[in-house]
Amino acid sequence: MKLNEDWWSVIVAAILVILGWVGVIGKAKGLINIPW
Amino acid sequence: MNNKWAGFIVGIIIVLALAWVSWQGSAWATKNLGDFGKALEYPLWAAVLGLIANLVLGALKFKDFIKPGVRTELFLKIGLVLLGLGINMTTVIRAGGGGVIQGIFMVTAVFLFSWWLGGVFKLSDSMRAVMSTAIAICGVSAAIAAAGSVLAKKEELAYVTALVIVTALPLMVIMPYMAQALNLSPTVAGAWFGGNIDTTAAVVGAGTIHSKKAQEIASIVKMSQNALIGVVAFILALYFVTVVEKGKEKPSARVIWDRFPKFVLGFIVASILASLVDAKGNNLIFSADALAGLGNIKNWLFAMAFVCIGLELDFSSLKQVGGAPLWCYLIVTVFNTVLALIVASIIFGVLFPV
Repeated sequence: MKLNEDWWSVIVAAILVILGWVGVIGKAKGLINIPW
Repeated sequence: MNNKWAGFIVGIIIVLALAWVSWQGSAWATKNLGDFGKALEYPLWAAVLGLIANLVLGALKFKDFIKPGVRTELFLKIGLVLLGLGINMTTVIRAGGGGVIQGIFMVTAVFLFSWWLGGVFKLSDSMRAVMSTAIAICGVSAAIAAAGSVLAKKEELAYVTALVIVTALPLMVIMPYMAQALNLSPTVAGAWFGGNIDTTAAVVGAGTIHSKKAQEIASIVKMSQNALIGVVAFILALYFVTVVEKGKEKPSARVIWDRFPKFVLGFIVASILASLVDAKGNNLIFSADALAGLGNIKNWLFAMAFVCIGLELDFSSLKQVGGAPLWCYLIVTVFNTVLALIVASIIFGVLFPV
């Protein structure tokens, strides 16, 4: 089955959420912190 | 590395750089241009920079190369899933409930009006189907789903796609200021943007320009409407094989699930995770730093999607835009705008104030 953009968006978001859960994104906060 | 992957990576770098410049521009304008500068929010900068880059890269014959990296829908959908981490499940249920009711009413009314008006303008049945679905549900992706259901011509799809973006861009900018002039609450304003603007990226852009609350409500309302896309695609396909092209194989109800936007499920799961808090209100799964970081990534992704709206516009399709379909599209858009304001005010102002 070829994955469409919908599923890819869920997969990428899930990876980001897991990285947040294990603490990687919290530690890198300074790098990505742009006060929009 | 083949050309597609190289284009994907170079495209993403260009989009990322333009998103960064749009933030810088927005911050500079807020600091130096007073109230006018404050009004120039980053979605507007991003879309305009995307349009300029579109013209420049087109002139340099570089646009096709970076096309694999220009992914409005992908960036937007990842951002929308992450947006769920910042919204409590109670808000999702209340706004989603109102959004589904508004969606069913708006999709039916706008689709039927557009279908009828398309007949008055003597458009082909497939063109009427693609255009009506695009205006009634969610712009480009709905147009693609409808085109698949009714086997529309490629040119018809390209034509409607260009119309969707050309009308969504000014609406994204004008509607937040109209909402302020009309003194709408952020909830009603968000529901209005979600019920009217065709393409989801521009809905999120309009909400972002207005306020954080409007961004949340607009996104939830639009996602509720997007979820109806499969049902409409199925009914359309059924209508075409039973009425327009009799005798063809009947479509399967499976299309309802196939066309269902799966990222909406991701958004709901994210919102459930965000709602798992202890007595003090601290999230049980994520640290405050992690939530702040994921929130920043979401903002990056939204900015990238807004840049892509401008980059994606196909000027060559625009040259064909004119005559009957253009007028039909514009009249239905005005109808949609007025009706969505009335319906959003009733549902989100009176029946389900969030």
